[in-house]
Amino acid sequence: MERSKKILNQQSIISALIYGATYLPVVWLLKHRVFGQPVSVIIAIVPIITFSIFIFKYIKAFSAMDEVKQRVQFEAVVIGFALTAMLAMILFLLGLCGISIPGWFGYAYLLCYCWLFYFIGWLISIRKYGL
Amino acid sequence: MKNTIKVERAKKNWTQADLAKHIGVSRQGLNSIETGKFIPSTLLALRMAKVFNTTVEALFQLDDIDAF
Repeated sequence: MERSKKILNQQSIISALIYGATYLPVVWLLKHRVFGQPVSVIIAIVPIITFSIFIFKYIKAFSAMDEVKQRVQFEAVVIGFALTAMLAMILFLLGLCGISIPGWFGYAYLLCYCWLFYFIGWLISIRKYGL
Repeated sequence: MKNTIKVERAKKNWTQADLAKHIGVSRQGLNSIETGKFIPSTLLALRMAKVFNTTVEALFQLDDIDAF
């Protein structure tokens, strides 16, 4: 039982790493327009697939966690989601005012901020529960 | 909420890891419950009471600030 929990947890981490490993090269390939548009569209789907696999594995690992770890993950996701939504809202409202900083707050960066906010939430939560 | 998990554990001469194994949580998770940082679900509280052969009420008590 404990072993299967560990395996599920490892699988979710590995799938997150695979997602990261596919996302960054795909961004590079698409940014430098290495391929034509039809091939680029197909390449763009690759990180979506790996991300979907990661989410599936994460949900499976989540359901196998004990309730303290579930609470930590839940709070991390809530904080990460709330801060990302807040940032997106601020950027949208600033955009309406004619202020935009695409160099730092483009879609790609927003994704990075989303992960950053998740880890901030995770750190807050593990400190709160003393894990 | 305060609890007597540490006392009950000492009576059985169990470590946190031993109890954690019996009730199906991680040792860190149990430590969080024992120190009052995390309030367990009814299911986990009942499981704990069962392994200690006691009641949930004996294991967990409301603090003055919790009671109104």
